[in-house]
Amino acid sequence: MNEAGLLRLLLRKFTLRHWRRGPGQAVLLVMILALGVAVYFSIRLANRAVLASFERFTDVLTHETDFVVSAPAGSLPETILPELRAALGARPVHMIPVIETTAARPRSDANAEIGSAETFRLIGIDLIGIQNLREEDTSAEPIRETWAGGVGNLNAIFVSPALTEQPGDRLPLLIDDRLVSLEIAGHIPARTNEPAAPASIIIMDLPAAQAITERRGQIDRVEFLVESGPDRAARRAEATKIVTDAAQGRWRVETSADRRESGAMMTRAFRLNLTVLSLIALLVGLYLIYQALDGAVLRRRQEIAILRSLGVEERTIQRAWLLESLLVGAVGGTLGALLGWAGAQFAVRFVGRTVNALYFANSADSAHLHFGEFAWTLVLSIAASIAAGWAPARTAAQMPPAQMIGRYHTAGPGPRLLRSRTLAVALIVLGALAAKLPALHLAGGTRVALGGFFAAGAWLFAGGIVSGHLLRGLGALVRPLGNLSPLARLAVSHLSPPSGRHRLAAASLACAIAMTAGMAILVGSFERTMQQWIATTFQADLYISSAGAQSASSQNRMMPATWQRLASDPAVADANVLHAADVVFPGGKSMVIGVNTQFDRQQGTVAWLGGTPTQWPDEGEFTFVSEAFVERFGTQRGDLLNVPTPSGTRALRVAGVFADYGSERGSVLIDRAKFVEWFREDAARTVIVKLRDPAVAESLRTKWLAENPGLQIFTNAHLRTEVLRIFRQTFSITYALEAIGVCVAVLGLALTLISVLLDRQADLTTLRALGVSRRGMAISAAMEGLGTALAGLLAGLAASLLLGWLLIHVINKQTFGWTLLLAVPWPALVLLAVLVLSAALIAAAIVGYWGAGLPADREE
Amino acid sequence: MKPMRPLLCLVTLFATALAAPPTTPDGYALPQPGREFVFPRDHGSHPEFKIEWWYLTGHLYAEDGRRFGLQATFFRRADGTAEKGNIYLAHMALLDVKTGRFIHQERLNRAGWDASAAIGSLDVKCGPWSLRMDDAGLIHVIGSIRAEASFELALTPIKPLVVFGENGVSRKGADPSAASHYLTFPRLETRGTLSLGKEQLPVRGEMWMDHEMSSSQLDEGQVGWDWACLQLRDGREAMVYRMRRKDGTTDPFSTLAWIDPAGAVQQVGAKDFTLMPNGSWRSAQSGAEYPSGVVLSAIDPSSGKRVQWKLVPLAKDQELHGRITGIAYWEGACRILDEQENEIGSAFLELTGYTGDLKRSLR
Repeated sequence: MNEAGLLRLLLRKFTLRHWRRGPGQAVLLVMILALGVAVYFSIRLANRAVLASFERFTDVLTHETDFVVSAPAGSLPETILPELRAALGARPVHMIPVIETTAARPRSDANAEIGSAETFRLIGIDLIGIQNLREEDTSAEPIRETWAGGVGNLNAIFVSPALTEQPGDRLPLLIDDRLVSLEIAGHIPARTNEPAAPASIIIMDLPAAQAITERRGQIDRVEFLVESGPDRAARRAEATKIVTDAAQGRWRVETSADRRESGAMMTRAFRLNLTVLSLIALLVGLYLIYQALDGAVLRRRQEIAILRSLGVEERTIQRAWLLESLLVGAVGGTLGALLGWAGAQFAVRFVGRTVNALYFANSADSAHLHFGEFAWTLVLSIAASIAAGWAPARTAAQMPPAQMIGRYHTAGPGPRLLRSRTLAVALIVLGALAAKLPALHLAGGTRVALGGFFAAGAWLFAGGIVSGHLLRGLGALVRPLGNLSPLARLAVSHLSPPSGRHRLAAASLACAIAMTAGMAILVGSFERTMQQWIATTFQADLYISSAGAQSASSQNRMMPATWQRLASDPAVADANVLHAADVVFPGGKSMVIGVNTQFDRQQGTVAWLGGTPTQWPDEGEFTFVSEAFVERFGTQRGDLLNVPTPSGTRALRVAGVFADYGSERGSVLIDRAKFVEWFREDAARTVIVKLRDPAVAESLRTKWLAENPGLQIFTNAHLRTEVLRIFRQTFSITYALEAIGVCVAVLGLALTLISVLLDRQADLTTLRALGVSRRGMAISAAMEGLGTALAGLLAGLAASLLLGWLLIHVINKQTFGWTLLLAVPWPALVLLAVLVLSAALIAAAIVGYWGAGLPADREE
Repeated sequence: MKPMRPLLCLVTLFATALAAPPTTPDGYALPQPGREFVFPRDHGSHPEFKIEWWYLTGHLYAEDGRRFGLQATFFRRADGTAEKGNIYLAHMALLDVKTGRFIHQERLNRAGWDASAAIGSLDVKCGPWSLRMDDAGLIHVIGSIRAEASFELALTPIKPLVVFGENGVSRKGADPSAASHYLTFPRLETRGTLSLGKEQLPVRGEMWMDHEMSSSQLDEGQVGWDWACLQLRDGREAMVYRMRRKDGTTDPFSTLAWIDPAGAVQQVGAKDFTLMPNGSWRSAQSGAEYPSGVVLSAIDPSSGKRVQWKLVPLAKDQELHGRITGIAYWEGACRILDEQENEIGSAFLELTGYTGDLKRSLR
């Protein structure tokens, strides 16, 4: 028989026979891997769905455009359009000017949470000119009727068929500071064989959109589509060059790939962190697969010996075991992908909500199965399973037959790597060194804390080794307890010295606990820092913005007449009017904020880092930058910063650095008067009001809300609560990921005990013969499980302190640029410890009770 | 004249009256007899009229003798309200006679940065396409068809501009307001470059240019029209349109105009000529059945004898599909054959209202 035939035979008679005889254990093993894979896969799919919702409207209507012109700061004047057309001459290129803003559904409750209102991207395009794109799409039906109701109608909009409202209905929307009611003139047409536009997109005729946003004569970008025909690539390159050469600093040209990348880039760090976090469960699963296969080798040693004596080669034995690992990986991976796909439908909402709060508005509410991601996940699952099964397979192949014969056997002390003190010390030292490495800077200002991630991995592994030694120490420590009862003695005897199986269970638990507790420390520290920052920053009485401002990307503003009316109310003692504009610095996109610096100086509402500044932006050509900006662009206090504005680049001296936990893109603060002059924009994003009598805040809010239904107004207390709520919501997905990691570890502990009990079937028979009850055996197993869990917990908590420090001072600082104060959330950690120990105790007791009923001669 | 070009004509009229009122009910000017045209001012746009078009058609030849049919047309239409303003529509079409390949493109833009027509001089733009007359009276046309072809042409009038119609008003129907001012350069010597794929071809030839302005054209009962311009080798030209009625008859306001070598115009009415289909061709794209050429039968004023000339398309498929507007029509280059099948000139033929939905589309 050739080797392939032999392998098939071994698979059927050897591997699958064992799986059939002990299906529970096989299922548990596969489930552990599946759970790990599912978490990873769901996060990947959710990330992908959120990024996909960053699409541009032209992708919905027509072919992807070739390049886009936008302003380095603020918006573009329409006057550049004829200039661009003239520069292109007779070259057949479609030019699509676009204005874009956000709009939100009005909320019935003024106290509703920020972000709870449905937010739309309202896109103004020339509904007449856009029809020329149909010449590019020869498969589509003529669309003469499609936009008919929208042209020249200042209130007409087109919506996705996915929206509840239908053509003919009116849709109330908050745009800037006004509540408007728009007529749905029709559905956004879908291209042939393409999905319909997402529900978050609303299209309006360009002049109407300019009018409704009071931005006549302005556009946000111009999209270019080189007409089809021969040599399109060369013509695209030529057109791009012409438009780029004509810019003279007035506009920037981005290719479609650049723009697609920008959404990915903005969220790269966030997604990377989530992905790393999602690997916890898989990492924990690896420990468990290793120990499960190792246990199987041990229990099937007699059969292996028989095979060897029948002349089956070492190589074939090893391959048969690797094939089993592969099968576990494939089945677990497929099952995990299916579970992950389901999980992604929930994860996408969490991820989408966070991306909405921090980066850009998105409408991701479902995640589609993606073949590429599925294939990659399956490869990862199989590779991980084979890696974990490698050592047991080698052990099985290399064991001499003579040693394998014999009915009684016990698990060994475990892999040497997991017992090496030297390695643990080396890993801790290596991690410490890696933590000192600077961040890896990618395009667009993204930073990746590679050294930090390496250190985390090293310390987690070290934590695993330490847990084994702790287990051993713990066993020695509790040995005297063995005198209390035979059951305790039995339990203690299994922990001192611990088997490799126990070490692995403790290590996997330590890994899960370390990451969970480490994240808890990060979140706790973050929350504490936020509270202090909020206390410093939010000291005014009322905070006013457009009710449409629902996410980080909201464009809604308050028109000058509105904010001036509020600021001049007799009840107002002082007001800080904030303006904002997106600005592209050479290293990436950031934001310039115009503030009343005098207000900040008097109210002391800025949290300074590195000392209070001595020069202020209203006193000269000075600026303040946020900490994230410093981290991202490398600008330091005292540096000269070139700030692009619509009226030319301004060189400003950085006079101070302030804490801002609202954005990781960073921000540049300039004086309000200069902002209005340079950006030609007097509409405000936020107005912060200090009242003569703070006691009237609530009544004034009610009055102003009644007069201005397009505004949202927060009192100080309400805003503080909202900021913390959004903050906690942002971290909600991390809690879910951690919980799954811990569940996997506890399940793993149960699997370990099953494996251990199967190893000890003969002992169990003896114990039963000696009169030990099933309940007694369950108690003994519970004690054994508790001891193992305790060792994992202690090592995990110790590692979590290191990880917490690493997350706060290295990974977070390098990725987001935020300085956080270390605060250990002891109550949360105690709760985690209690939960883990209780779960371990219960799981171990159940397994012990089950194990007590095992027949003496049962195969594994 | 081009009786109304497909997309522009909107409306229809009211009761027949003896004289045209000065304006339409919505305030647009109606052509008035005796209008004095001043140039170059009247080559430019007349926004007081609801619709206006500049229409170039002709035959071009490369140095190696390859023959092309070319159409370049620009329409302006006021869309009824101040908010809507003017809409510009343009068509470009090219026939490569040797290969029989016919390509065309439509473009639609609202007045503004990407489309305009100057008042006071000829300067019309629609996207990257343009039509302009320089100070020396040379007309420049720049156009393209989806990057498959592009052209830059300079046109020199070699015959004087003519004004069709009675006393400067070209009637299209019984309603006096169904009329236009109809100005034509009947023969323009054309030189320039035609880029076809990777080929850059110097071309020369002759074109015809109409400029019409109107506010109300289609009459009740009319379903479409057949129009042609003829450039004869003997130095004369002719323009003919037959307004077709629902019952298949020819509207009495159909017209044939002869232009002698000196540019003098002699116009005859429907009873003095016929313009009848000569076979048929069905479009696979629109399903419409068009005449496969036409036969013009009339008394030739130069000989005083009746002639029967065939306008034979240089390719059967010269249909513009109207992907944007939804209105398909046939407009193509033809040769003119006399009774002895001798080629006596070149023509351009336009056939509208064959897709069955013209009235609805023009509404």
